[in-house]
Amino acid sequence: MDKSPHKVSLTEIFLTFATIGLTGFGGGMAIVALVERISVREKKWISSEEFMHGLAFGQILGPFSLNVCTFTGHHLRGIRGGIIAAIGFILPSFLLVSFLSWVYFTYNKLPQLQAALKGTNPVIIGLIVVVAIDMGRKQIKGVGGALMALAALSASVLFKLNAAWILLGAALWSLCSSYFRRRFN
Amino acid sequence: MTSIFMIAWIYLRIGLMFVGGGYVLIPLLNHIMVEQYRWLTLRQFLDGLALSQLTPGPLAMLATFTGFRAGGFPGALVATICIFIPCVVLMLIVGRNYDRLKKIDIISSTLDGLLPAVVGLVAAAAWNLGVSSLSGLKEFLVLAIGFAVFKWTKISPMIVILGAGLVGLLLN
Repeated sequence: MDKSPHKVSLTEIFLTFATIGLTGFGGGMAIVALVERISVREKKWISSEEFMHGLAFGQILGPFSLNVCTFTGHHLRGIRGGIIAAIGFILPSFLLVSFLSWVYFTYNKLPQLQAALKGTNPVIIGLIVVVAIDMGRKQIKGVGGALMALAALSASVLFKLNAAWILLGAALWSLCSSYFRRRFN
Repeated sequence: MTSIFMIAWIYLRIGLMFVGGGYVLIPLLNHIMVEQYRWLTLRQFLDGLALSQLTPGPLAMLATFTGFRAGGFPGALVATICIFIPCVVLMLIVGRNYDRLKKIDIISSTLDGLLPAVVGLVAAAAWNLGVSSLSGLKEFLVLAIGFAVFKWTKISPMIVILGAGLVGLLLN
C-alpha cells in the first residue's frame, strides 16, 4: 500500500480529515470536493483515478462523503489509516450535533445557523463545479465518455435516480463495452 | 433511558440497512424512532433532520441527535459509532481488495470506463444544490467569486468556506 515515497503519519491523516470534517459545510459532494482538492491536488496522496474509483464504490455503499475519507485513509495507511480518517472526519460533526442536540432538548430551540449556510452554499457550488471540470478534463475522453457523463447528470437531475443505480448501470455498460472491444479486436 | 446495548443494536441494524444511499435513512429512522420506539415526536424528528444537515457530516448524523434523545451523550456516542460501523467496514474491505482487483484487466477497464458517470454525478450534485440555494443575484455573484478563487488561486478551500460562512452570518 506504500507507493508514496514517505509514509504519511496517522496524526497527519487524523488532522487533515478532522479539518475537512470541521469546515466542509454543505456535506455530501462538498466533502468529496474538499477531499479531492486536498488529497489529490495538494498533498498528492492518491491519484485522480484511484480517488474516483473510491468515490464510485463509496456512492454505491452508502454515505459517500464518509466513504471517500475511509478509502483515502486506507490507501495511505491500511486499516488503521482508514479508521483514523473516518473518525477524524465524523468527530467534529459529532461534537457539533451533540452540543446542538443538548441545546435543543434543554431549551427547545433550534439554533439559528442557517444564515451561515446561506453564505457558504454558493461557494460550495463553485468548488464542486471546479472539481467536476478538473475531473472531466482528465476522465472524459471522446464522445462516448461525454455521453455517459451527460446521461449520468440527467439521470440524477431530471429523473432523480439514485446514484448507486446510475453507477451500477454505468458499470454494466462499461463492462459490456470493454468485453466486446476485447473480443472483436 | 434506554439501555446502551439496545441503542447499539438498533443503530447497528440501521447502519446495515442503509447501505445503498443516504435517503433511505430518513423514512427508516422516522419509522424506528417516531413510530416504533416513540423516542421523538415527528416535529422533533424533523428539527433533528434540519440540525444534522447543518453539519459537514453525512445525513446519518441524525443518529447522533436521536441517540442523544434516547440515551444522553453516551447514547449519542454509541448510536453514531454503530450506525457508521457497517459502511466503514465495507469501505475497508473494498480498499483491501482494490489493489488486487485493479490488476485484473477486465475490472480495471470497467472501473475506468465508468468514471465519466462519476463526473456526471459530481456535476449533478452542484446542479441540485444550486436549484435549492441560488435564489438571487447576490448568490450568483458569490458563486462566481468562489469559482474564480478555486479555479485560479491556491487559497485553501477550507479558509474560503469559513470566510463565506462568516460573511453569511454577518449579512443575514
